[in-house]
Amino acid sequence: MRIPDFFGRRAAVRRELETSRELLYRMAYAWCHDAALADDLAHEAAEKALRRAGQLREAEKLRAWLLRILANCVRDNARARRELIELDAVEETLAAAGPTPEEAQASAQLALRVRRAVAELPLGQRQVVTLVDLEGCSYAEVGEILEIPIGTVMSRVCRARQALRERLAPLASEALGARLRSVK
Amino acid sequence: MSEEHKVSDELRNAFVDGELDAAEWARVAQSMERDPELREEVGELRLAKDLVRHAYAVPPSRPRRARAAAASGWRSIAAAAVAFAAAGWFGHAWWERAPALDSASAYALRGDWHTLRADWRKLDGNRVLVHVSSGEPAALGRALDEVEDLLRAARAARRSVKVEIVANSAGLDLLRADPARSAARLAALRREFPELGLVACGQTLERRRALGRQVTLLPGTAVAPSALDQVIKRLRDGWVYVRV
Repeated sequence: MRIPDFFGRRAAVRRELETSRELLYRMAYAWCHDAALADDLAHEAAEKALRRAGQLREAEKLRAWLLRILANCVRDNARARRELIELDAVEETLAAAGPTPEEAQASAQLALRVRRAVAELPLGQRQVVTLVDLEGCSYAEVGEILEIPIGTVMSRVCRARQALRERLAPLASEALGARLRSVK
Repeated sequence: MSEEHKVSDELRNAFVDGELDAAEWARVAQSMERDPELREEVGELRLAKDLVRHAYAVPPSRPRRARAAAASGWRSIAAAAVAFAAAGWFGHAWWERAPALDSASAYALRGDWHTLRADWRKLDGNRVLVHVSSGEPAALGRALDEVEDLLRAARAARRSVKVEIVANSAGLDLLRADPARSAARLAALRREFPELGLVACGQTLERRRALGRQVTLLPGTAVAPSALDQVIKRLRDGWVYVRV
């Protein structure tokens, strides 16, 4: 897609933002595990994206560009930057969501425990592994988004997965029987 | 394990993440055939990946912030001086220019609270129209919470604000004097904040009367020809529009 001029580009960014609100929020949440903060960060990133629409060169890279802006917002935000969030807060956020049908399911409990494990990762690893797993970003894309070399992406993926495997080992046996195991 | 069998951590993860080219992929797959331990490890990596994806498939809904937080949010927003000449938020630039709207597009515009909080900084009009057409108690409760937060925050910031609630369809119940559930709260709010206006949809009233259902409205409620008329009128005057 070619973006002919600034206004066309801004319109394109705005359209993309409309469909990317959930993406930004989910990723922000996976990074900070605080729904209110994630909402703020996603919001801030979207605002910045709109203001900087002129900087976008290739529309194809819009997702990576948006996520990079989000990563910058996180970097600039003292609360989001905290390496270790208070884990009680993760529980609280989930509990506060209330007993919806989804929450009532056992899968919500599972999700909670996995989120806690992710929350315990250092921020850098947390960001890499969630970009790869939630958004299906390639290592190269993750490198662009977080502005780090691809070798760093790979080593962070390794360390994050190792840590997750250890922390989730007790869950593995439970989950192995469940539909979660998708062998592709 | 021989050197030939050795598959590094990086390779295992790259395998799971689909980052390998065909030749590398084949090499790892071949090693997996021979090495049950490697198979198991790759299985665990896949599981970790799936678990993470599953864990965030449905993130917690965007928060209805705790009342204190919401109030302070409004306060900071209301107090913020406005020098932010960006484009509108998610296509909501429409209100800035007070566009002339046809009825279809007026209804197509959906503001929400989230948007309103964002737009608030850019407002100079301080006029907010809250359009209630849902009879869902949770939505009505939330609408009242938000309206109250907004009024209190504006007053605390010594910022004058005008809020009008226009109700139609099932939302009309909000403006009924009976049953008294929301009525008492709304009446109290009106006493405290005279700048809160209430408008009922004339068409909805007509329809209910035609069905033999007499509606008693809260004292001080105005009746517009229709909610749509009122919405368009307010939009033309540059009001911010929030739909519940």
